[in-house]
Amino acid sequence: MIDPYYLQQLAIGLSLGMTYALMAIGFTLIFGVLNVVNFAHGEIYTLGAFAGLVLISAAAPPAAAVIFAALAIGALAGFSLERLAFKPFRRFTDEASLKSRAMRESTLLSSLAVSIVVREGLEIGFGSQMQSIPFAYLINTPVRVGPVILVTGDFIIFGVAAAMLVGLQYLLTRTRTGLAIRAVSNNPLGAKYVGIDTDRTIIVTFVVGSMMGAAAGILTGLYYGAVFPAMGFIPGIKAFVAMVMGGLSSIPGAVICALILGIAESMATTFVSSGWSDMVAYGFLIVTLIFFPNGLFGARRERV
Amino acid sequence: MNGSELLPLRGGWSRPVPLLAALVVFAVLPLVLAGFDRGYLYQIANLSLIFVLLSASMHLVTGVAGLLHLGHAAFYGVGAYTAALLSSKLGLGFTATLPLSGLTAALVAFLVALPTMRLVSIYFAVATLAIGQMLYLVMLNWVELTKGPNGIIVTKGLELFGFGLSGRLATYYTVAVVVALCVVAIGRLSHSYYGNTLRSIREDDQCADAMGVRTVRLKMEAFTLSAFFAGVAGSLWAHMTGYISPGDFKFSESILILAMVVVGGLGSLPGAVIGALLLILLPEGLRGLGDFRNIMVGLVMFLSILLLPKGLFGEVSALDFARRHWGAAWRRTRGGEGIGWQ
Repeated sequence: MIDPYYLQQLAIGLSLGMTYALMAIGFTLIFGVLNVVNFAHGEIYTLGAFAGLVLISAAAPPAAAVIFAALAIGALAGFSLERLAFKPFRRFTDEASLKSRAMRESTLLSSLAVSIVVREGLEIGFGSQMQSIPFAYLINTPVRVGPVILVTGDFIIFGVAAAMLVGLQYLLTRTRTGLAIRAVSNNPLGAKYVGIDTDRTIIVTFVVGSMMGAAAGILTGLYYGAVFPAMGFIPGIKAFVAMVMGGLSSIPGAVICALILGIAESMATTFVSSGWSDMVAYGFLIVTLIFFPNGLFGARRERV
Repeated sequence: MNGSELLPLRGGWSRPVPLLAALVVFAVLPLVLAGFDRGYLYQIANLSLIFVLLSASMHLVTGVAGLLHLGHAAFYGVGAYTAALLSSKLGLGFTATLPLSGLTAALVAFLVALPTMRLVSIYFAVATLAIGQMLYLVMLNWVELTKGPNGIIVTKGLELFGFGLSGRLATYYTVAVVVALCVVAIGRLSHSYYGNTLRSIREDDQCADAMGVRTVRLKMEAFTLSAFFAGVAGSLWAHMTGYISPGDFKFSESILILAMVVVGGLGSLPGAVIGALLLILLPEGLRGLGDFRNIMVGLVMFLSILLLPKGLFGEVSALDFARRHWGAAWRRTRGGEGIGWQ
């Protein structure tokens, strides 16, 4: 019989992994289409959380309204992020004229710059301290399942992640928009030649991915009860690690790897110390990049 | 025409810009600072010189070799911690810790580069980010060695062969001399044949590989060299301020150094120097803005990528500059034919 203590740690790890998975879904979607890392995804997560916080402290609305506010802010942020940081640097048609390799990472740098501006702007507006969410909105009522204690937030986050995953798979495989997204992700120039509006498709991807990121932010905020401007950095890195481990463009792979990551971290916290637990994710990232360049759930895509 | 006309002896006067810069750094600025007589201004001057060195060392790896490096501040931190630990535990002086911290940072960079250097573009960038964060976690959590978040007090100030140099002016001069020597070394390195080989890797590493350039090895060398200079900068910082903590070597510092190189223009050393001065002095000059310091860094970086994709000094103008002022790869040989690009 397994010691309930370890079962409890496993449950904590799973719920941690679930919060990473929420983030990783949107991240992987955006990476899959444009093949560029969106460093500002962590800030969209923060913006979603702050949108929820502002609405809660201003009007004390029902929880569903908070989620919708976060989704709306996420959609807006995704749209403006794409216009600001990605569109000016996108040159599908003149790839050959982009001579210098050093300039090819300009979207990475621009999204990084946007993320700095957003984070520092939030710090000026709200201060860098943690803001606590009012008690009534927290989703951490304990629920006893056999020998382990979970909280309601675990179920909500699990449900949202599952819904997102199913919804996204439906969108990608059963709708015309999804077909367009997959076409652009496979070959942007070819998609353009067969008459797909690549510009619109990319915007749709950013809006959908950023809505998911913002939802992840507000749910995590309600789950842990704290919101602060720098909260997006660590989950952003974890989501990236999950994405790389999962094989870059495979969304189910990213979710599974996010869960693995969460469990590994919670075990590291248990057996080593909490200070070193972030090391697990960075270690996973390096090991994956070196030994499993196609990810654990091998993607079809060739590595660039 | 004899050979001496083909090979003109270039005195210092034919290179006005570096000479002028040296004059300002070594003669005018200390006089001005002494005139104001405020320690704070010396601190700013030293800080900007140290960031000039960091930016120049990043220029070598990101600008010249084209490797997007997101963990540079960690190697700076390795240098600073080496200097602090060697001086506080073993009692070594500045003359010993300066090269040793450079070498330690280079060794760490070499070990890190062994597995990661085959990664390309974004994967390399994220791997360096992860390594930078790992080193930061080590500084933060290896409490027995690094005292964790409390940081280390460095008791030894700057000294040279037993002469104390902890006065304001002496400290400034020491930092300026070390930084100037390192920047000149980086300049010679990046505008030599070696630097041009690294540029070929940046432009197209597969092509360079096919032409027989040993790309992986050269990338590793550039990475290690750049970490060496970052370690030297760390040692200067540790001895200058007398107190270091992991907070000085976070991801945001890496991004600040990256922004300097990007703003100045990737691949240009003068650009890296100007970018460093701009991003340190501009927020200091606009002290009234206070909290807006970091947001400025982000805005300046974004606007420079958007509006000046080549930076303040693009590679081409920087090459002209280098041709005029260093001329290492372009100077005519005795036979009369030029080497490098004409």
